[in-house]
Amino acid sequence: MRLRWVILLAVACGAITVFFPFFWMAVTSLKTAPEIQRVPLTIAPDNWLNFGNYVEVFKREPFLRYLVNSAIVASVAAVSSVVVSSLAGFGFAKYRFPGRDVFFLAIVGILMVPFQSVVVPLYVWMNEFGLLDTYAGIVLPDLVSVFGVFLMRQSIEMIPNDYIDAARIDGASDLRIFFSVVLPSVKPAIATLLIIKFMWSWNEFFWPMVVTTSQHMRVVTIGVMSFTNMYYIDYNLLTAAAVISILPILVIFVTLQRWVVQAVVMSGLKG
Amino acid sequence: MRQWVRLAFPKTHLERRKRAGFLFVLPALLFFGSVFIVPLAQSVMYSFYRIQPGGAKEFVGLGRYEKVLTDSTFWSAVGNTVQLLLFSVPATVVLALAVALGLNQIASLKWRNVWASMYFLPFATSLVAAALVWQWIYEPVYGFLNYALSFVGIPPQKWLQSLVEVKPAIAAVSVWVRIGFDTMIFLAALQSIPQEYYEAAGIDGASAVQRLRYITLPMLNAQIIMVCILELIFNFKIFDQVYATTQGGPAGESQTIIMLLYDTAFKFFRFGDASVMAVFVFVTLMVVTLLQWRFFRKPIEY
Amino acid sequence: MKRRAAMTLAVLAAATVAFAMPGASIAQQKKLVMWTHWDQNPDFNKWYAEKGKEFAKKSGYEVEVVTVPYQGYEAKYLAALMSKSGAPDIFMGMTHQWCGQYDFCDRMPDDLAKTYEQNLPKYMSDVGKWKNVRYGIPIEHGNFQQMYINVDMFKKAGLNPDNPPMKFTGDWLADMKKLTIADPKGGDPTQVGFAIRSKGAPVGITDKFLPFAHAWGARMLSPDLSKATGYANSPEMIAALTFFGDLVNKDKVASLSFGNPEDAFGQKRAAVIFRESWFFGWLKKNAPDVNFKVYALPCEKTCPGAGALFPWTDLVYKNSPNKAVAWEFMRFISNAKDDMEHHQMQGILPVWTANLDTDYVKQRPDYQSTKAMLAQPVPPTYFHPKSNELATAFGEAVVGVMFGKGQPKPLLDEAAAKMDRILKD
Repeated sequence: MRLRWVILLAVACGAITVFFPFFWMAVTSLKTAPEIQRVPLTIAPDNWLNFGNYVEVFKREPFLRYLVNSAIVASVAAVSSVVVSSLAGFGFAKYRFPGRDVFFLAIVGILMVPFQSVVVPLYVWMNEFGLLDTYAGIVLPDLVSVFGVFLMRQSIEMIPNDYIDAARIDGASDLRIFFSVVLPSVKPAIATLLIIKFMWSWNEFFWPMVVTTSQHMRVVTIGVMSFTNMYYIDYNLLTAAAVISILPILVIFVTLQRWVVQAVVMSGLKG
Repeated sequence: MRQWVRLAFPKTHLERRKRAGFLFVLPALLFFGSVFIVPLAQSVMYSFYRIQPGGAKEFVGLGRYEKVLTDSTFWSAVGNTVQLLLFSVPATVVLALAVALGLNQIASLKWRNVWASMYFLPFATSLVAAALVWQWIYEPVYGFLNYALSFVGIPPQKWLQSLVEVKPAIAAVSVWVRIGFDTMIFLAALQSIPQEYYEAAGIDGASAVQRLRYITLPMLNAQIIMVCILELIFNFKIFDQVYATTQGGPAGESQTIIMLLYDTAFKFFRFGDASVMAVFVFVTLMVVTLLQWRFFRKPIEY
Repeated sequence: MKRRAAMTLAVLAAATVAFAMPGASIAQQKKLVMWTHWDQNPDFNKWYAEKGKEFAKKSGYEVEVVTVPYQGYEAKYLAALMSKSGAPDIFMGMTHQWCGQYDFCDRMPDDLAKTYEQNLPKYMSDVGKWKNVRYGIPIEHGNFQQMYINVDMFKKAGLNPDNPPMKFTGDWLADMKKLTIADPKGGDPTQVGFAIRSKGAPVGITDKFLPFAHAWGARMLSPDLSKATGYANSPEMIAALTFFGDLVNKDKVASLSFGNPEDAFGQKRAAVIFRESWFFGWLKKNAPDVNFKVYALPCEKTCPGAGALFPWTDLVYKNSPNKAVAWEFMRFISNAKDDMEHHQMQGILPVWTANLDTDYVKQRPDYQSTKAMLAQPVPPTYFHPKSNELATAFGEAVVGVMFGKGQPKPLLDEAAAKMDRILKD
């Protein structure tokens, strides 16, 4: 019994350590530039209600628009990833067909290519289809997640073959089996993928920066970076912008977490 | 060849099943093919060319490969990357597993979510913003870490400015960023382990450690492999954190392969050489992943 | 369940089609698109668009300014300029890179080139040129390091802030020693004389070391920029690097633990910093209580002079369909009055010689020091397409000495050999 308390304490301490930089970020966003430079360090801002940096961030950049753009792009990427990855995961996990392992390796191989070496040819390629500076252009390389295929394959592999065979004996088609047996069994993985892919897409910087030009098409990561430049970093504004960009994710995470709970409870796997 | 014809026009039930499997996988394949094949091919093609001043390309066969693979700076970067890997990958996987196991013990779903969210938060920040905040925490003079350590009597450390401490310091940032991701995966998998297995073990009188070793870890084997492969790939390609903070310093101690690739492509304008490095990264990761996949994957018996 | 999934797929397909449509149709107004990565100067950048509205009255073309984040700008520029469509008409960058390494620049019309020949300060006449042909308009003056001193710290150390040190190995080093307060316990000093740059990419460190090199009469490359050995590792260079390294390792008037030199100076932990003219704007915002003065850099065998490794210029894209109009716009804003107004928007130094003695400039804290620096001989420039790579290789030697990884001579020999390999490659 005491072991349980030790474990809980360790987990809590770990969580607080991991959380600390965010606390730091939030606290810094309430300080003025000279306050940040102060030596010796002061943790608390002089004025806890100093929202001047936030006002400045919205004044300098159309951050609301950036948040909307990020939300659109990340949602599309997340949903599309889940759909395509679960289909592919099922195919890889429970079927045998010629070339299966090669195809899987090829997909995982995409992850092994450094994006920096592909970005210029990809840009030129996208330009052929007129997709520069559009939502489609931003989201297209992100529509399917290699990690998603991997995760779905692993999770679906864990489904006992008996369940599937039973459904097949009942005369269900492959697609039917997918929807009625497979998907319900991997709800936690689906929710995980949805959250992870959404966040991943939300935090993309390099490709959205290269492919967008108009200010109204930019995403939130570009907005945050606009408070750094070639010479120095405006830490007070950078942290405020970073906090603004994290808050929506937090909200979404908290909401989706509840769904994970529901999904797990309803799938009845954890007795 | 015959098997492909059979795939398109299945006659038997088994062949129809094979086609179904292929069709499930097709959307993903089509997507990756149409978006990435042409750019990838071009990128590989560049590795056989030398870009001359003025922009013209000159075919040089394996010339660029020879130049890059005999360059000591390149191998330094490889060495640095591997060292960073050795710090961050085991730490991330082990800690994520420990945290997931610990979180799984929390009976109250609400509290489990609260603590899990805190671990997951680093993943919610853009790598660059997070790195900049960490850079500031590591600041030797007015950063929080030295300030906190001064209370326990440890003298201020140089962290990102120290030739020795810079790699562990950057590795710590990588662990911080990725631990939530892996914890989530492990937690979702843990929650899918049928409770009956534990009940059966309980009846047999197994201890907690034995349950861990004989039920939990084998059931998690697939996830552990996947996490190891992914962590290796992501940490081998580490870039954003280093670029935003040390930029490869001090004195080249934190220059990673991708940083060198980026500089070679976009600051030194040597696209051909950058493509050679990309091919190197791909081949290395492919080989290592294949090894991990073949040797550590155990089939799961039901 | 199946119906819901089918619905989701349908919605997804519809959404994808919607997104594939191009964004809100671009206004029919014709315009010149200009890209810049100077995100620290938003008002300066906005001025182009303002002037563009006036320009539109004569030519029908407005000017749209796109500020690209500095982080990753090379990738974005390269991708766009290689694509031929979606590329900017005008872009801001270094001439020897975009016109020398790549062939992306349009040659400046002769009449405009002559205007600039006549109106640029002498030390800037090479900025914007590649192989003696002018492509670009320099946009920044004062992009050379000057000496900022903390007046209060000078006074406290018993030094006269109105009488700055003039010789590196002489009064400058002596003053640095007086301004350094060592730690009695033997750790890092609590206050240093000189805020040294030790963080970040080697190319930046080279940039900060060059004034020292030039003061000792050394140069990184041969005058025709074709050779490094014999120059980057000349006895003068070795002497300069030895002095520089000793600041950290022997004299201990500079420390590697102080992080950013700007922060160190702003926090009053360092008394002297060498920085360009944008720095006092930063001080006003981040460290308003620092009482500072600006002076010309000290000298040794010769004076460092006004030199810059990164000369920023406005360039016109060679394949732009609007390049004639772009040059028209450049002509439109190339006069002393606009130059003055433009640079005043962001509080930076104007470029035209005629503007260098206006009241605006006279009232700046760096007025006298800038004049003094310009009076010094023009230092070597390294406008070579491979300047980034060469400066990086050189910087590795400088960093190596600072961090005690080796001695100046062997490290410089190695760097020079590497630089020659780069030049030949």
